[in-house]
Amino acid sequence: MNPVVKMEQITKNYRSVPAVKNVDFDIAAGEIHALLGENGAGKSTLTKVMAGVVSPTSGKLTYLGKEVQFASPNEALHAGIAMVFQETSLVPSMTVAQNLYLGSENFLNRLRGTYISAQQFLQSLNFAVDPTAMVETLGAAKRQMVEIARAVHHKAKVIIFDEPTATLTPEEKRHFFALLRRLKADGVSIVFISHALEEALQISDRITILRDGEKVASGPTSEFDRETIIAAMVGRTLSGEIYRHRDETQLRKPGRKVLSVQDISMGAMVRNTAFSVFEGQITGVFGLIGSGRTETFKIVAGIDKRDFLRGGTITLDDKPVRYYTPAEAVRDGIVYVTEDRKSEGIFETMSIGENLFGGLLAADKEEGFVIRTSDIRALAEEWGKRLNIKTINAEAQVVELSGGNQQKVVIGKGLVQKPRIVIFDEPTRGVDVAAIAEIHQIINELADAGLAVVMVSSYLPEILNLSDRILVCRQGRIVEELSPAEATEEKIMYAAVH
Amino acid sequence: MIFDPILELFRGRAITIPPMDGAFRPNAVLDETPVLAELQQADNLCALGDRLLASSGTELVEIRADAPPEPVQSFAAAITALAAAPDGTLTIALDDGTLSENGTPVPLPKGVACITALAYGPDGALWLANGSDLHPVSGWVADLMEKNAAGSVWRRAPGADFKVMAKKLAWPFGLLPDAKGCLVSESWRHQLVRVEGGTVKPVLRHLPGYPARLAASADGGAWLAIFAPRNRLIEMVLQETHYRFDMMASVPRDYWIAPSFASGESFLEPLQCGGIRTMGVHKAWSPSRSCGLVVRLAPDMTPTFSLHSRANGKRHGTCSVIEYQGRTVIAARGGNCILTAEDRT
Repeated sequence: MNPVVKMEQITKNYRSVPAVKNVDFDIAAGEIHALLGENGAGKSTLTKVMAGVVSPTSGKLTYLGKEVQFASPNEALHAGIAMVFQETSLVPSMTVAQNLYLGSENFLNRLRGTYISAQQFLQSLNFAVDPTAMVETLGAAKRQMVEIARAVHHKAKVIIFDEPTATLTPEEKRHFFALLRRLKADGVSIVFISHALEEALQISDRITILRDGEKVASGPTSEFDRETIIAAMVGRTLSGEIYRHRDETQLRKPGRKVLSVQDISMGAMVRNTAFSVFEGQITGVFGLIGSGRTETFKIVAGIDKRDFLRGGTITLDDKPVRYYTPAEAVRDGIVYVTEDRKSEGIFETMSIGENLFGGLLAADKEEGFVIRTSDIRALAEEWGKRLNIKTINAEAQVVELSGGNQQKVVIGKGLVQKPRIVIFDEPTRGVDVAAIAEIHQIINELADAGLAVVMVSSYLPEILNLSDRILVCRQGRIVEELSPAEATEEKIMYAAVH
Repeated sequence: MIFDPILELFRGRAITIPPMDGAFRPNAVLDETPVLAELQQADNLCALGDRLLASSGTELVEIRADAPPEPVQSFAAAITALAAAPDGTLTIALDDGTLSENGTPVPLPKGVACITALAYGPDGALWLANGSDLHPVSGWVADLMEKNAAGSVWRRAPGADFKVMAKKLAWPFGLLPDAKGCLVSESWRHQLVRVEGGTVKPVLRHLPGYPARLAASADGGAWLAIFAPRNRLIEMVLQETHYRFDMMASVPRDYWIAPSFASGESFLEPLQCGGIRTMGVHKAWSPSRSCGLVVRLAPDMTPTFSLHSRANGKRHGTCSVIEYQGRTVIAARGGNCILTAEDRT
């Protein structure tokens, strides 16, 4: 087997701290190689070295039998190595088609021709994206599709996918996996980074696992199962904490009804949806992208506004409420933990303490007129301990934290507001398995403490194993309620699709 | 917002349907419950001593666990309500507006001809629900579609005449008297009210369906039968006056967009969204004109749990429920059967 890419003894240091250390990695033609590890394990750094985004401190990179050192991602792309980033690198102010052909335009371009060929290309990939739409108007999932399409369009020999399925629905994932198999059949080599271990086990031919910047395991996929992967990734077994089946007696009983939503509507996105939320219980909400699940709860939290005419009723403690700003909802004890932490959840360049203090400011719960840095530091220390936020030092910016710790900051920012109802939207998206277990523990503790918890998620194992009741959302309304004791992934998907 | 009541004058008041969750969480218990007896149009249940009686169209039948239903008596018109007094008196109301006690006709006040429920209080007084001044019991759909509130509740103390206790009720369909007053289910307003001392006070509002008859439970609470669910399409039709009267004038009553004791029996029935069955699976959550729903109420009248037959079930049109010899007995008029459920408290 002649590897297309071979990396030998790759080391990359940031400020003399090694992100990857003496890692060997290779990929053959027509192979899908899964690269797994916790956040901060060095997966992204290793693939960035391969794609020319960063230069290695030491080590050798061989591509098609020749030793290479890419000076830029563009150079790697022209050589045939493309990387699909977790955070998309599209130009928001351009259309989908323009983004697809960016860098490979002709001297003279007919916009109509560009759109037609982009449409045909997207259809061939089974991606339902309008080529004339501006990228800034697209949701996270569609942006990811465009990013994937762009890599495929460049006819790369090696494509690196960094968390490609995090924002895709199960149906879209099936299309995506079919695409991967097609690319593989065409001889394209694929590096597949994912936190969803089932996906790696399902799609890959080979698995390599990194921990703390070092390779800890590598071999054919048939030699691995969920347990061995998790054990290699975190050095201990976690699956019992994350994936557990519960019968009816293990589910929390509903407490007092705190929130009742009746027939709320918002344009075509939310249509006459009705549900209640109870204290001391985790209400799981599942729905495909576009089912209106996020929008529904954004209305509850005052972020989006329901229709002015016949927009339905929301009652909090049996009193009707209509929020015009999120601050009103926060003051009433409703907190929404966003699915898009980078743009809506955190101030990236601020410290943990400053972010948490921002939460207090939003809830009008800070005391006095003067903001004392000692208060901010104390807040960071208290919540850092409570939520087990791992950081180099107290002054570290949130952007420097791993995805899991960033998510904990977002959660902490909500919890400092002392809410009664906490709405988690995709609480573990882009978070590694160890952090998933910790976040699940936090969510469970909140419900045990008597808070009403809502968890919107498109990750079915999470919905099944964390919720005390499951609501399924389809076409803008809650269509079905299931008990986790009797629900299966198939039952939930049927209700979500039909 | 404080301006909302004012704004509602212009933007219209939101008519909302409460979700089926909490105590109303859907299940398929009624479809899994054993059938005690197959009975066409099983409607009202009552326990006369240790005998279990049920009405079925014009027939009064006795239900036995180990034998088919045995006809007791036949009448000229359909039986609309039954009640058994502690002294063994059996009171029967018919769709022609007559009332009899042990076969003896009882004089009724003027305008009382739509007797939907009867019940004896602990003091021996007979309570009577008159569904509407404008229609007989069999005309209940028309009464709903006309959005009438012409019902009343009457009480007859032992040895006295009937006295009106409450008026302008929207189809009173269930009675549960106690020493001080009476709990009444008001179908078209989807609520339970308490009639006491000449006043009517809501006890349980915003029910997700059309409540029917009530019965006492052993723990001091109550059982409530709900014969049809609330439905967006029907709610819309109820708001569209012109369309509604046009429909009533030109469409056969069985095919009106209205609640029903049973549905899905004819292709002429109105469909909503067409999404009833997909890939061969009848969706339990598809919109339906009928359902089976029995609700257990705590002594403070808060719902505690419920038994369902959903859109994909058959035991619909639950009109009556009683506790009989430690078991819960349910009459499903649309399902043409009488069910018996284990105690689930």
